[in-house]
Amino acid sequence: MDRWTIGNKATVLGYIMIASFLAHLASEVNPWLILIYLLYVALNISLLIFKKPQFKRLLSALSLVLVAAGAVFWEPLLWLLLPMNICELLPSSTIGKGLGIVLIGAGGFLLPLELVPVYLLSGLLSYLLFTCSSMLSEKIRSLEGERERLRADLQRLSRSLSENNEYIRQSEYTIKLEERNRLSQQIHDDVGHAVAGALIQMGAARMMLATDQEKANELLGNAIAISKEGLERIRLTLKEVKPRPEELGINRLRLFVDELSAKGTVAATLTFEGDIDAVTPIQWKIIQQNATEAVTNSLKYAKATAISIEVRVLNKFIKAVVEDNGVGTAKVVKGLGILGMEERAASAGGTVIVDGTKGFRVTTLLPHRNE
Amino acid sequence: MSHVLEIRNLTKKFGDFIAVDNMTLNIGEGEIFGFLGANGAGKSTTINMIASLLRPTKGEIVLLGKNIVKDSKFAKMNTGIVPQELAIYEDMTAYENVSFFAGLYGLRGAMLRERTEEALAFVGLGDKHQSFPKNFSGGMKRRLNIACAIAHLPKLIIMDEPTVGIDPQSRNYILQSVRKLNEMGCTIIYTSHYMEEVEEICTRIAIVDHGKIIAEGTKEQLTSIITDTKEIWIGFRADGAISIESLQGIAGVTAVRQEENTLKIVSKSEVNNLNRIIQQLIKDQVEIRSVEEQAPNLESVFLTLTGRNLRD
Repeated sequence: MDRWTIGNKATVLGYIMIASFLAHLASEVNPWLILIYLLYVALNISLLIFKKPQFKRLLSALSLVLVAAGAVFWEPLLWLLLPMNICELLPSSTIGKGLGIVLIGAGGFLLPLELVPVYLLSGLLSYLLFTCSSMLSEKIRSLEGERERLRADLQRLSRSLSENNEYIRQSEYTIKLEERNRLSQQIHDDVGHAVAGALIQMGAARMMLATDQEKANELLGNAIAISKEGLERIRLTLKEVKPRPEELGINRLRLFVDELSAKGTVAATLTFEGDIDAVTPIQWKIIQQNATEAVTNSLKYAKATAISIEVRVLNKFIKAVVEDNGVGTAKVVKGLGILGMEERAASAGGTVIVDGTKGFRVTTLLPHRNE
Repeated sequence: MSHVLEIRNLTKKFGDFIAVDNMTLNIGEGEIFGFLGANGAGKSTTINMIASLLRPTKGEIVLLGKNIVKDSKFAKMNTGIVPQELAIYEDMTAYENVSFFAGLYGLRGAMLRERTEEALAFVGLGDKHQSFPKNFSGGMKRRLNIACAIAHLPKLIIMDEPTVGIDPQSRNYILQSVRKLNEMGCTIIYTSHYMEEVEEICTRIAIVDHGKIIAEGTKEQLTSIITDTKEIWIGFRADGAISIESLQGIAGVTAVRQEENTLKIVSKSEVNNLNRIIQQLIKDQVEIRSVEEQAPNLESVFLTLTGRNLRD
């Protein structure tokens, strides 16, 4: 808006200078007039430098006085500059705007008659330009505020989303625990009773071994059958309880890497070092998800031929690195993917470093052994 | 310990580029706090924001309980910055330089003269009042640069790479003055490429990479991130058998192995048992040739955590 106002002023000032010059071609240039021009330019340029409205008003008022003085004593054309300063001085409310047009109109009565039309023309045009640009800049400000608010909302929502995800993860874990409880109960109920039953039958068989061999034989046969059944139940129950090997951390990651290599576009490798058992299931999940995300990015953008995944358990940190040999980028722009990785890591108190200087490298650092 | 400086969720963006990424940090009174990071990690951007030379995109910096953007005058009075690039006038005398900068901080009259002289004496330029910096060595210029920053006795002094490109003697002198300033009650923020300097003088260190604080703590806390063991290598004369068992009994020792003329002893790093190990070897009449401790340093911490060298 400032630029348009100064442009407006410059145009009118230029018109005045040319008109005044042409009108007094023969006579000598009046040094006072030049001083007025220069002061006017200086005042109105320094007006742009200040941020506080008080200073702006003060300078504008000074410029108004200057213009009025110049117009009265030396050059009536200077009246043309008046409307713009009036516009700046008035408050931006509707009343202020109305007052502006009244004041500009009233100014017309002060002028010599031959100047009135051109004064009214330039005054009204300046007034329209000023009102229009101030309205637009007001609109931009309000839109900007709106955008800021929306962004804050978005951030809040995405945070609550990630908190909910964490909650879901937690409840999955709880459900698993409950399931485990149920199974151990089942072992106790079914298998425990079977073993106890078999024991009783065998005890009875031993007592009858001397007196009634046939009965003892039958009892032993029963006991064997019960034990067999119990053994089968143990097998079945345990099969359900024991997690499948591919569900365990590093194996799952290895499977992921193998699948990646099998697709044939990149050579993927997995290395690990340190006490891998110290990594908790939740940490494995974060490592796994971040690795998946990072690999997806590498495949999409990097034009890489090799991807290496490294999991290293240090004394107090777990470090998981996904690195490719692709094009990388000098400037990493955070998209949703990187933000997601950061959020996952942050949920376990860790950080993510994304580096694009030598290929692309995503490092997830998670603390462990929280002392 | 009260906090001299609190940094909350500090972020600085240059266009799309995030130079400082949501940094949160507290610096306590009397600390010498070191920022360690490669070029472009965001150290100088952070420091420039603390010194009010850059405006944060987001987040706030609180100095002695006051927001430095809102109370900018208070912040400037209580901060002294020794910039990476020399900021002295070659055509003014040493005295005039210091007095000029102290004057900018509002010192006047007798107080100005007194503090100027104190600051010059402090950096060892007390006899060079009327000399011109253009005739100074690199180290002397650096010291003058420091004097300009401390004459107004700020609570917080920021030193951005104050020992770049100077002779070892001046470097030692500067390190000593950092300690002395610290003893006088100043809190100091120190950045350097020289990892040894940071290890030597900083009471707490933050490792910075890609605008984030990766880890912070004392040197010991940081090295313990990687490992809690150290190796002691002892070279000896090869005659007679070494009793490994007697060494394994010493507190903290977790493993001992012999490789030709060297004993490699793995020990917990927090246990100081070198004396006992040596005593034991002397008792066993082993002739020691050399003793070497292989503990991880900050360079290796940095390399391990970020995969980059400090001087990348």
